[in-house]
Amino acid sequence: MKDIKAKLTEKIKASFDTVSEKDYNGNRLDFHVDVKIIPQILTFLKVNLGYIHLSHISCVDWLEEGEFEIIYILWSPVEKLKVFVRTRINREKPVLPNIDMIWRQANTYEREMREMFGIEIEGLEGAEEFLLEDWQEMPPMRRDFQTEEYAEKTFWSREGREDAIDVREEIIKRSREEIPDFAKKYSR
Amino acid sequence: MREKATTLYFGPQHPGITGNMMIRLKVEGDTIIKATTEVGYLHRAFEKLQEKRNWLQSFTMMCRFCVPETDPMEELYARAVEEIEGREVPERAKYIRVMVLELARLASFMLWYGGQNGSLGLYTMGQWSVGDRNYILDLFEELTGGRIYHMYIWPGGVRRDLPKGFEGRVLKTLDYLEKRLDDYDDLMFDNAIFKKRTQGVGIVDKATAVEHGVVGAVLRGCGIKSDIRIDDPYEVYDKLDFIVPTSDGADIWSRALVRRQEARQSIRIIRQVIDTMPGGSVYNKIPNPQKWKLPKGDAYVRAESVRGEVGLYVVSDGGTMPRRVHLRGAAYVHGITLLEDVLVGENIADVSAIMNSLGTCPPEIER
Repeated sequence: MKDIKAKLTEKIKASFDTVSEKDYNGNRLDFHVDVKIIPQILTFLKVNLGYIHLSHISCVDWLEEGEFEIIYILWSPVEKLKVFVRTRINREKPVLPNIDMIWRQANTYEREMREMFGIEIEGLEGAEEFLLEDWQEMPPMRRDFQTEEYAEKTFWSREGREDAIDVREEIIKRSREEIPDFAKKYSR
Repeated sequence: MREKATTLYFGPQHPGITGNMMIRLKVEGDTIIKATTEVGYLHRAFEKLQEKRNWLQSFTMMCRFCVPETDPMEELYARAVEEIEGREVPERAKYIRVMVLELARLASFMLWYGGQNGSLGLYTMGQWSVGDRNYILDLFEELTGGRIYHMYIWPGGVRRDLPKGFEGRVLKTLDYLEKRLDDYDDLMFDNAIFKKRTQGVGIVDKATAVEHGVVGAVLRGCGIKSDIRIDDPYEVYDKLDFIVPTSDGADIWSRALVRRQEARQSIRIIRQVIDTMPGGSVYNKIPNPQKWKLPKGDAYVRAESVRGEVGLYVVSDGGTMPRRVHLRGAAYVHGITLLEDVLVGENIADVSAIMNSLGTCPPEIER
């Protein structure tokens, strides 16, 4: 496995300049790359090196650092190695190159990313709406989208429940048990 | 004279659809000339909710991603957390996990038998197989307390050891099911209607499969030998002896043949697991869940479900809650881009048979 990883790193570094790698235990190898070379490096991995299976595309919102991290996970059935291609883009104006001409199924991932994180994908086809309908708020999978606030604003309690008893308070009254600290925030 | 094309809305409420989703079909006569999937009826924002729950609370949501086969998701979450944390799992727990996963596979195959035949109007098969599935659900109820949602495989091992005499009851159920699978063959694979309606329908050939990143039985149905349990072995699959069946037809019929053999392989695996299961503890205790922090890191783990490869990407930022949990189901690939392409040129009556055969599971697409 170590030989395979070393050979792959060598081949990638010979073709691309701005790549840094990180090795993990087992059959995993990470490459940190610049967003500009994403289509080139993925095509190179698929066509020249046999990483024919795109297993996953994921996006992580690093709110504190002001960046989105995009992770493409590829798999080679011959070398039995998982390759992570990772890139970071600015959170303010996120733009990603489209890769659905390399793998058809990437289209679905990209449509979801566009809707859930508000990332613009250059030249992506397919309906604007994927999972959500008539969505007016900020893209919901961003870390600064407040789920509870949105729910309180949008939905309302069922009528006739205004005088419902908080079960926890009843339990305290009857058994004189204390509510643990972590549960206090759930009290009405 | 060219017929005028009309639009037909297939779903979201339709007995032939495998869940709640809609396909907008453009048809000329009975032939489909364009298909567009529309999802969004089942979006429950699990992944967002998990970001607000601690590591143990979000484990209880994992099994709800896909109803027909719930255990692979639990196992994936457990394995991802263990990989990030570097937590050891007792050997016995690994064997029990494989047993539970394969029982879940069997139960899911039974549901597929019913769905695939029901989509062609052969309802007897569904009555039989869903009835027999109940025997497996009974075993789950005894082992975990739940019939569908088990919440049994969790980080650090499994929640409790097998009850007394449980192995015997599993073996007895397997003996019964093995006999029943032969009855299913008579009803399903010797059936002229089934052959006529499935052979040459819903073709996914090798080139399409590679282009679309197809996985699981659909990939094996076009002659490519690929199974996560062999290629990227997890738990104790590398110690077990089983074969990966393939078939060359690339149509619904050959996928059915692949699944028919896989059900038998699952029985074989469970028997081996019970024979070779070691003793010992089944659970390495986790710390107080309210204070349980995972080190910073991420993990991508994969497992083989009945529909194909399921992957889970988990990111920890060093806190008590996951930063990101992202599931990739087989249906995510099969149910949208592939389905839209495969349906073109097919008959309206075959849409639901093709959906069942590709393993489309809308809850897995929308999460």
